[in-house]
Amino acid sequence: MKARLCRLIIPIVLFSLGAGAADISISASVDRDAIALDEVLTYTVTIEGTRDFPDVPPPTSDGFVIISGPSQSSSIQIVNGAVSASKTIQWRLAPTRTGRQTIEPVEIKYRRKRYRTPAITVSVGDSRKQSSTPPATSSQGARSAPRASSKAVIQDGVFLRAEVPKTTIYKGEELTVSFNLYFQNVRNYAPQKMPDAKGFWTEAFPEKRNPTISTTVVDGVTYKKATLRRLALFPTTTGDLIIDPMEISCEVPVRRQRRRSVFDDFFDDPFFNDPFFGSTKTVHVRSEPVTIHVKELPAAGCPSDFSGAVGNFVIESQIDTLQTVQNQALTLRYTISGSGNINAIRLPSLNLPATVEVFEPKVDRKVNNQGKSIRGTVTFEYVLIPRSSGTLRIPALSFSYFDPAGARYRKVTASGYRVDVRAATVTDTGSRSGFNKEEISLLGSDIRFIMRDNPRWQPIGSSVFSRPWFWIFNLLALVVAGGSLAVRRWMDQMARDSLFARRRRALSRAQQTLKQAQEAFEQNEIGQLAGLLERAVAGFVADRLGLPSGGLGPQDVTQALQRARADAELVTTVGNFLRQLEEERFLPGQLNPESASEKLQQAREILSKLTKAI
Amino acid sequence: MILVISLSVPLAAESALDYHFQKGNDAYLLEQYDEAIREYQIVLQNGQESAEIYYNLGNAYYKTGQLGRAILNYERAHRLRPKDENIAFNLRLANLRVRDRIDIPPEFFLFRWNRALVSALSVAGWARLLTLLIVLTCLLFALRQLLNLGILSRPARSVMLILGLAALLTLYPLLQRYAMTTNRDYGIILSDSSKSLAAPQEGSTELFIVHEGTKVQVLDQDNDWSKIELIDGKQGWIPSGDLEII
Repeated sequence: MKARLCRLIIPIVLFSLGAGAADISISASVDRDAIALDEVLTYTVTIEGTRDFPDVPPPTSDGFVIISGPSQSSSIQIVNGAVSASKTIQWRLAPTRTGRQTIEPVEIKYRRKRYRTPAITVSVGDSRKQSSTPPATSSQGARSAPRASSKAVIQDGVFLRAEVPKTTIYKGEELTVSFNLYFQNVRNYAPQKMPDAKGFWTEAFPEKRNPTISTTVVDGVTYKKATLRRLALFPTTTGDLIIDPMEISCEVPVRRQRRRSVFDDFFDDPFFNDPFFGSTKTVHVRSEPVTIHVKELPAAGCPSDFSGAVGNFVIESQIDTLQTVQNQALTLRYTISGSGNINAIRLPSLNLPATVEVFEPKVDRKVNNQGKSIRGTVTFEYVLIPRSSGTLRIPALSFSYFDPAGARYRKVTASGYRVDVRAATVTDTGSRSGFNKEEISLLGSDIRFIMRDNPRWQPIGSSVFSRPWFWIFNLLALVVAGGSLAVRRWMDQMARDSLFARRRRALSRAQQTLKQAQEAFEQNEIGQLAGLLERAVAGFVADRLGLPSGGLGPQDVTQALQRARADAELVTTVGNFLRQLEEERFLPGQLNPESASEKLQQAREILSKLTKAI
Repeated sequence: MILVISLSVPLAAESALDYHFQKGNDAYLLEQYDEAIREYQIVLQNGQESAEIYYNLGNAYYKTGQLGRAILNYERAHRLRPKDENIAFNLRLANLRVRDRIDIPPEFFLFRWNRALVSALSVAGWARLLTLLIVLTCLLFALRQLLNLGILSRPARSVMLILGLAALLTLYPLLQRYAMTTNRDYGIILSDSSKSLAAPQEGSTELFIVHEGTKVQVLDQDNDWSKIELIDGKQGWIPSGDLEII
């Protein structure tokens, strides 16, 4: 065995690139160059020639996964004063696929130089075939458990089964996988490879230290059954997903008196019954991969706010206070609990009024794997800061999930709240920016004081157009302007038209003459009276009718009056009056004071009549 | 005649108005602002106003933290007396505390000049100016008509024409200013914050939020809803109870 191992070691000595540095050598080896898919390979890196060993990175390979390691050991030998040190680092690798698989070189850096191991190629055979070499870890080379298509081939009365309650599920629905070990007599077991499932969110149930053992009958054979591992799987994609097998190694006691069975035939070999090999042997068993068909959730009836939660949930809301002050934070908590894919739970948006500042919620997911199915609680804790006073309405929040048992969507609702927000005191202006220097200094100042003098009251909504002074002044001004215009026009006409002027002044001149006549009469100068009265009346007619003023006889006056279409009676009166005065003028002495007074009176009457007539 | 009557009617009530005004002032001095507000409101309920009472009321509201009502009353005082420095100062200070800082889009300079010109005087100021110009023009006209001014006649005519033209030109800012003062198109938001919606019904899309004290233009009213426009041009509907017309 050892010789075989040695044969496989590929020592590589890497020559240093720089001068004067201590040489080290690095080599890599595998314990077997051909293994079956369900076997494990030991990959060893050995470094020699130094005591300060550099770090060795793990090997990389597409065809292998590291299942354990690194385990390290180092040794120092002193031979004839020469110190040689070596270090071995080991990993255990499991192949992931068949074919020729390459383990990539491992590269280390030591004193600024690089050392590489060569790439190692291992052929991985199908596990159904017998692997070329037994694993080195086992003193008694047991054959790996053959992979059967439907049922595990039972060897040594031990087999492992992955059991699922159903193989067709909805996306997101919980699927519990139990890895059950069926056995007749197993002393001990050690997991070699944990099950894996791609495309699932996996949550493991706790493993019991001593699995409870029950008895079942499989194919007529009585087995003990122990559940080694239970997983809750939640598919995150649709399609056919595979639950990869679990692999364990068990110590099975070797019976000397073998029971004959179909399965035991194969092992009924003197080799196994050799008493040299003691009382136990190690058997590798693995479960069958299980294919799960994952269905898409039904599109019909899918609520718009559905976020992918599948299971059975309840939602609760909680608020720390219903009365707060503006700008003071309050805590709003939504708790969704139940069984299902807890990690897929998203809360729909809160739909809060924009006057509230909402911070990103603190999300707390607690998964409880103690029960029969995965339960959990997700808490969304929101901090809200109402920026305005008044009533803040927090609407009820609905959460939709898919219930796989009923194959329908369900909606649960958390109650809403009404929070009474009181206004904060005004003095705080906050740390608002956008003010210029002047405004900032202004902000620091207080408002100016009230006005204390009695004001002039005016009706609300009244304007200047309802004030008298406005109209009085304006109208007065216009009247003055208009009046002045009229006066001016009159003056103009007076100046422009002498006839008009004579006409206008006729009466006043006549009256003036009458006044002189009155004075003459009072001073007993009766001789002048006739001339004055004649002048007054004839002058008046001449002025009014635009006749030449001098030398008008009674005849001329009556003719002018007739032309002016004066009343015939008046014309006769005027004519007679003027003729009497003419006689008096040429033959004075006829007038006594009495008749003179009568004549004055007559003249007045005639004038007033004439004023109306012409 | 009517004018004379309208002038004499308030005289009887004036002493009572002054009494409440001074009572309000006394309460203000004692920092009993709520009491002051009550007294001032009594005056306003009597249908009489003045720049002073709006200003004092604004101060009292400001002191009690009612920013929206403070600004509303300062605006009313400012409208009555646009040149008053105290009113302008307090209005400016109160506006600084309004949460909405709307950036005013730059106005076309002619509009800006026009507004500055029109608001240079109150309606009464423009009216006084107009009256003065008309009276002077008319007097000059009358003078020229009645007296022979001789050598001064021609310059007097020029002056008269200029004055007349000025009077005509004064009519424009007077009428504009009058429209500006009497228009009921502007309001102040009184509620702490008001959601502005796209349509006048509850549950409509929320467009923006206006806060207490913001001055908005009221474009339209539909039952309990008012269509508002902010100075930056944003429009939306808010409940009519959330604002008060200046």
